[in-house]
Amino acid sequence: MASGNPQGEGQALLAALRQGDPKLSRFDPLPRIITFDDFDRGFCGWTQLVGNYEHSLDSMLPGYAQHSMAMLSTLPQWDFGSHGSFDGTYALKLASKPRKGAQNVTVKRLTFRKRGPLRLEFYFTFKPEATALRLSEADVRSIGFLYDLQTGDRDSDGARIMPHLRFLNALDGEHVQKWQFKRHTTEVKPIGTENKTISHYHLAPQDWEDLPGGGQKLCYNEIPTKINWHYVCFDFDLETMQATGFRCNDRVFDMAGFAPIRMPAMRNLWCMLNLAFFVETDVDKRAHLYLDSVCISGDF
Amino acid sequence: MLVQSQAAVIARNETWSGTVATEPHEAGWAREAIFFVRALRDATGEPGQARVELSPDGMRWVPEGTVLDLPRRADEVTFARVAHFGTWLRLSATLPDGASVVVLVTLHLKG
Repeated sequence: MASGNPQGEGQALLAALRQGDPKLSRFDPLPRIITFDDFDRGFCGWTQLVGNYEHSLDSMLPGYAQHSMAMLSTLPQWDFGSHGSFDGTYALKLASKPRKGAQNVTVKRLTFRKRGPLRLEFYFTFKPEATALRLSEADVRSIGFLYDLQTGDRDSDGARIMPHLRFLNALDGEHVQKWQFKRHTTEVKPIGTENKTISHYHLAPQDWEDLPGGGQKLCYNEIPTKINWHYVCFDFDLETMQATGFRCNDRVFDMAGFAPIRMPAMRNLWCMLNLAFFVETDVDKRAHLYLDSVCISGDF
Repeated sequence: MLVQSQAAVIARNETWSGTVATEPHEAGWAREAIFFVRALRDATGEPGQARVELSPDGMRWVPEGTVLDLPRRADEVTFARVAHFGTWLRLSATLPDGASVVVLVTLHLKG
């Protein structure tokens, strides 16, 4: 029988197939799934964000020198054993060093095929290292994510754009619990002597701004070893280079006041689509961010 | 299924002196591991040996029994193989007074 609306039927079939897949049915991806990173399959391309350098590692900015590799984790706890991931054995784990203000970043490096809507969805949780027999709810300073994007080499609006969002959990012992964004990075510094490499630490502690209406109390659970997973969906339009939506669990946030970091295009980063997650500790104790899973989708 | 494999830099351009240890590395998925230690510059004094350590929880550490010489010359590489290590691994060392070495430590996991 001829279809009256083949495009609509195709979309319905696609939605039914995805909802019938237990791994995908907890996501709402756009038509094209770019990556679906289930860490029971391995690291899925998530690696360490190493800083830029030339001739010597000594030229790396200190903010980057502290970074280390993400791990595959069963969320093992001293008091009951492995917590397990959202729907399997392994999650991706990012750990800071045990020094107040220490950060760590994991990155996945892609390029984009089309400038259009891009959706990031992921489930996350965070906890400090359970070195103390107390709740420790204000030990993790922040967790967050960012895109590092650049327009195509023939685009008339050439720019590098870096939308950042973080959940500021605590600051100097205060349990803050709010979402923030950033529109400024640090000074761009030349690296080495060949005039080919620069560096800037865009996760420096200054210049974070509150997302309007961005306060949110997340489930933390009652001892430092129990975790609960949270859902995030972040929509960004690569055509306009503007954020178009953000939700975490049951809360949908107004992104009208959001702005990304913008800077002139760099000569070798065309069509860059990098996604990074970060964690920061507020005390001299390791902070842990866990992810399981991450889905990036586009409308093309 | 191909086995999982990962090369992780666990200490980069770090100056080791006194008692030092790499960060806790969770690798319960892996069946075998190799630590490589590369000196980025000539060591000062005699840096001695490093030891592989295991942990039940990533916080309390015990020697696994494997030791390796720390490299003494720039770009010299030493290594140690480990298997059946549970969930956590790290490399630790106690350098003699006055000794130091700048290291790049990599952990190669397979399982």
